[in-house]
Amino acid sequence: MFYRQAGISYSSYPQTRALFSLAADRRAVAILFVIALVAPLLFGPGTVSAVLTPWLIWTSAVLGLNLILGWAGQFHFGYAAIMGIGAYAAIHGTRHGLPWEMAMIAGGLCATVIGCVFAFAALRVKGLYLALSTLALQFAMDWVLSHVPAITGGTQVTLQAPPPAVLGQVLGGETSLYYIALAWCLLVTVFMLNLKRTPLGRALVAVREKDYAAAVIGVNSFRYKLVAFATSSFIGGVSGAVIVFAYYGAATPEQFAINVSIELLAMVIIGGLGSIIGSYMGAAFVLLVPGEMNQLIAWLAEMAGARLSVETLAHIPHVIYGALIIGFLLVEPLGLGRMYQNVRNYLMVWPYGHLHK
Amino acid sequence: MDFVLFAELSINGAFSGLMYSLIALGIVIIYKSSSVPNLAQGAMTMLGAYMVLAIAASTGAPLWLAVPLAMVVMFSTGMAIERLSLRRLAGQPIVMILMMTLGLEIFIRALAMAIWGAAPRRLPIGISDDPLFLGPILLNQAFIVGAAIAVALFAVTALFFRTRRGIMLRAISDDYTASWSVGISVERGIALSWALSSVIATVAGVLWGAVQGVDQSLALLLLKGVTIAVLGGLDSIGGAILAGILLGIFEAIASGFLDPVIGAGSRDLVVAATLIATIMIRPHGLFGRHDIERI
Amino acid sequence: MPDTENQVTTATATPGSRPSANHILSINNIEVVYDAVAMAIKGVSIDVPAGGLVALLGANGAGKSTTLKAISGLLKPERGLVTRGEIRYQGENLEGVAPQDRVRLGIVQVLEGRRVFGHLTPEENLIAAAGTRMSRQALASNIDRVFSYFPRLKERRGSSAGYLSGGEQQMLAIGRALMTQPKLLMLDEPSLGLAPFLVAEIFEIVRRINSEEGLSVLLVEQNALAALDIVSHGYLIENGRVVMHEAADNLKRNPDIQEFYLGGAQAKNLRDVKHYRRRKRWLT
Repeated sequence: MFYRQAGISYSSYPQTRALFSLAADRRAVAILFVIALVAPLLFGPGTVSAVLTPWLIWTSAVLGLNLILGWAGQFHFGYAAIMGIGAYAAIHGTRHGLPWEMAMIAGGLCATVIGCVFAFAALRVKGLYLALSTLALQFAMDWVLSHVPAITGGTQVTLQAPPPAVLGQVLGGETSLYYIALAWCLLVTVFMLNLKRTPLGRALVAVREKDYAAAVIGVNSFRYKLVAFATSSFIGGVSGAVIVFAYYGAATPEQFAINVSIELLAMVIIGGLGSIIGSYMGAAFVLLVPGEMNQLIAWLAEMAGARLSVETLAHIPHVIYGALIIGFLLVEPLGLGRMYQNVRNYLMVWPYGHLHK
Repeated sequence: MDFVLFAELSINGAFSGLMYSLIALGIVIIYKSSSVPNLAQGAMTMLGAYMVLAIAASTGAPLWLAVPLAMVVMFSTGMAIERLSLRRLAGQPIVMILMMTLGLEIFIRALAMAIWGAAPRRLPIGISDDPLFLGPILLNQAFIVGAAIAVALFAVTALFFRTRRGIMLRAISDDYTASWSVGISVERGIALSWALSSVIATVAGVLWGAVQGVDQSLALLLLKGVTIAVLGGLDSIGGAILAGILLGIFEAIASGFLDPVIGAGSRDLVVAATLIATIMIRPHGLFGRHDIERI
Repeated sequence: MPDTENQVTTATATPGSRPSANHILSINNIEVVYDAVAMAIKGVSIDVPAGGLVALLGANGAGKSTTLKAISGLLKPERGLVTRGEIRYQGENLEGVAPQDRVRLGIVQVLEGRRVFGHLTPEENLIAAAGTRMSRQALASNIDRVFSYFPRLKERRGSSAGYLSGGEQQMLAIGRALMTQPKLLMLDEPSLGLAPFLVAEIFEIVRRINSEEGLSVLLVEQNALAALDIVSHGYLIENGRVVMHEAADNLKRNPDIQEFYLGGAQAKNLRDVKHYRRRKRWLT
C-alpha cells in the first residue's frame, strides 16, 4: 500500500534504469535529503557534531569498504590503515601549502597508490590468504606510523590538522564541518548507488560470484579487482582525511589501528554486505548500540541492586559489540540491509501479503 | 658477529618458537577438519589460562589439579562454540566465517576482561626464574620447560591421529561426502577437532601465562600463531612444528640485532613480514597441500 | 526393416514386484528435486529383494546416482531433497534418518568416481569406515576378509590411497564399504574409467560377495553389457522415470535395449538406424 507499484509504466529506456522507480522511494529520499540539509537547525550543535558528523563520515568509509567487501567479495583487514594514509597525507599536504581541497584529493590519491601497490601483489591469492595479507598490511602500517616520526611526529604526538578551507574560505564551526561530512557522504552514496548500473559494477558482481566464470566471458578479474581496490582505497583515503579534519581535529596512530579496521568490518557485516542503506544503518548501530546497551545494563544492575565494578562496565560495550557480530551472523547474515528489504517487501504488498505464496 | 649472542638468541628463540607453535597447532587441527581459519584461537588461549586461575581460585585446588580440570571445561567450551556459532555458517562464504571467528575473538576477550579485570595475573607453575647456563649461553628455564611440553603435546597429537578416531578425523578432512557415505559423522568429527584445539589452547595459555602473566595480551599470540600456521602449511601439523622453530629463531635474532637499529617492536614487524613473504612466495606454506589455495 | 510396432511396455511379470515381504529395500514413487527447482527424479519405484543382485541402468544424467543418494541420504550436500514418496528399508521409512545412521542400519553407497580418502593408506581407509564400536579382533578379521576379496590391495596397503590405480581405488572403495558390515551394498558406476578386464574382475568379486555372503546389491551402471551378466534383474531409468523392469535375460534380448544400450545386435545401414531411433518414443 505504501510502496505502490501499480501505475508505474515506462516510456523510455532511461526511465527503466532510474535509480528509484517507486514514488514512495523518491519521496523518502527527498524527505531525508531535506532533513539532512536542515539538520543543524533541527538538532542542537552538540548532537550534530557528536553524533551526526561522525556517523556520516564513518558511513562513507563503510561504503568504501563495502565496495571491496560486498561488491567485489574481497576481504580487507586493513581499511583503517588506508584511511590513516589518506589522513596523514592530507595533513602534510595542507601543512606544505596545498589548498585544502587539493590536499584531500592528494590524501585519497596517496592511499590509492599505496593500496594499489599492495593490491597488485596481494591479489594473486584469494580468500583467506588475501585477508591475511591485508592484516599484515595493517600491522605494517601500524608499525610505520609508530616508528617514522617524519610522518606522524612520533607515537605519542598528535598531529594537528589545520582547519579546512573551501575555495580559500576558512571554515570553522561545527555546522560547516557537518556540511563537509554530508557532502562527502552524499558523493560516495551517489557513486555507490550508480555502481550497479555501470559495467564496473556488473563486472564486480560477476567476479565476486565466480571469478573463473567471469574470466570465461571476458571479464578480466584481476584488473577489475584492482580497480575495485583502487576506488575503495581512494574513498577510504579521503574518508580518513575528512574524519581527521572534520571530526577529530588531529591525527594519532591509534585512530587507525587494527581495532578500527575490525570495527569497520563489523559495521559492514551488521549493515549488510553490499547494501547501501545497510552501510548507514550498520555505522549507526555500531556507533550507538554498545554505548546505549552499556547504560541500559548499568541501569538494570542498579535496579537489581547488583554492584558492577568500573572495570566490568568499561568492557561491557566490547562484549556487546562482539555479541552483536556473532548474533547478526547467526540470525541474519545479510545484516540490517536485508532486514530492511524484508520489511519493504512486506509493505510493498500489504495488506495483500497473504496472497503471496 | 657475536656468536655467543647469536647462539643464545637462536636457542631461546627456538624454544619460544615451539611454544608459539602450540597455538598454530590448534589452528591447524581446526582448519584440517572444518576448513575454518580460527581467528579466535588467541582468545581461546587466553580463556584457557583464565579458566585455570578461576578453577584454582574457586575450588582451592592446587595448580596441577586445576589445569586438567580447566582442560575438561575448555573441551566442552570448544564443542559448544562450534555447535552454536560455526555450524550454522557451514557453506557460507569465507568472509562470514572469518568475521564470525573475529566476533568470537572480540566477545571472548571482552568477556574475560569484564569478568576478571584487565590487571595481569601471575600463573606460577613452579619454574624458577633463574636462567640455566649452557657454557656461556644463558637459557630461559620457562622456555625450556615450555618447549618440552610443546614437543610432548605434538607427539601426543601425532599418536592420536593414528588411532581410530584420529583416522576418522583425517578422513573427514579429505572428503566430507565420502566420510558420510561410510558412516563417519562429520559433524561429530568437527566438534571433536574444536574441542581438541581448545584443550591445546589451554596448555598454551598456561605455558605463556607463566612467562608473561595472564591478561589480554595472551590473545595477541594469535598473530604469531597464524603466521606459523601459514608458514608451515595450514593443514600440516608437522609443518607447524618446523615453522614455529623457524619463526622463533628468526624473530629472536631479528629483534636482537634490529632493535637497537630501528627501535623496539621490530619483532612484530618481523612476524608481519614473514606472513606477507609466505603468502607472496608460497601461499600454501612449507608442507601444505596445493589445493588449499583455491578457497 | 526394424519392427516399429514393438512397443515397450513396463513388464508386469517380474521377480518379486509388489509385496514387500522379503524386500530389503522398497522405493515407492519418489520425487527428488535439486536446488528447489530441478526435478531430477519424477517417480521411481524400485524393489530390491533380500539377497538379490539388481541393476539400475540408464544413460548419463538419467537419475541413477540421484536414486542411490536418495537411499543413502547423501542428497543434502548437493542441495537435493526427496519431495514425495517414501523409501522403506527392511520395512522402515528412512525419512529424516541421517546418512551416518543409515550406514549403521546397513545401507552403504560406494560413490561414483571412487572418492577414496587420498591422504590415508588403504588400511587406514578401511579402519576409517569401521567405526568406533568394533572390537580390535573384529576389526582385524574384517580387514583380513576385505584383503582376501582384494588381494591386490594387500600388496599396496602401505602407500597413500591417492596414488593407487583406478582399479585399485575402486576395489578399495568397495572394500571400505564392506567394512561397515552392510546388508545393502549400493555401487555407483563401478566400471567408470576402468579397463575391461578390471571391470570383469571387479564384477566377478561383486557377484561372489553377493552369493557367498548373501549381501543384497544394487548396482548402478552405464555399462549395461557388463552389468546384465551378473544381475538377476534390472530397472531401466530414463529422464527420472523407470521405464522398464525385467529379468536380466529378457533385458539382454530386448531389441530396444540392444539398440540403445548394448550397441545394436544386428548390422543395419545408417538410414535404418536413424529411422528406427526416430520412431522409438520412450516415456519422457
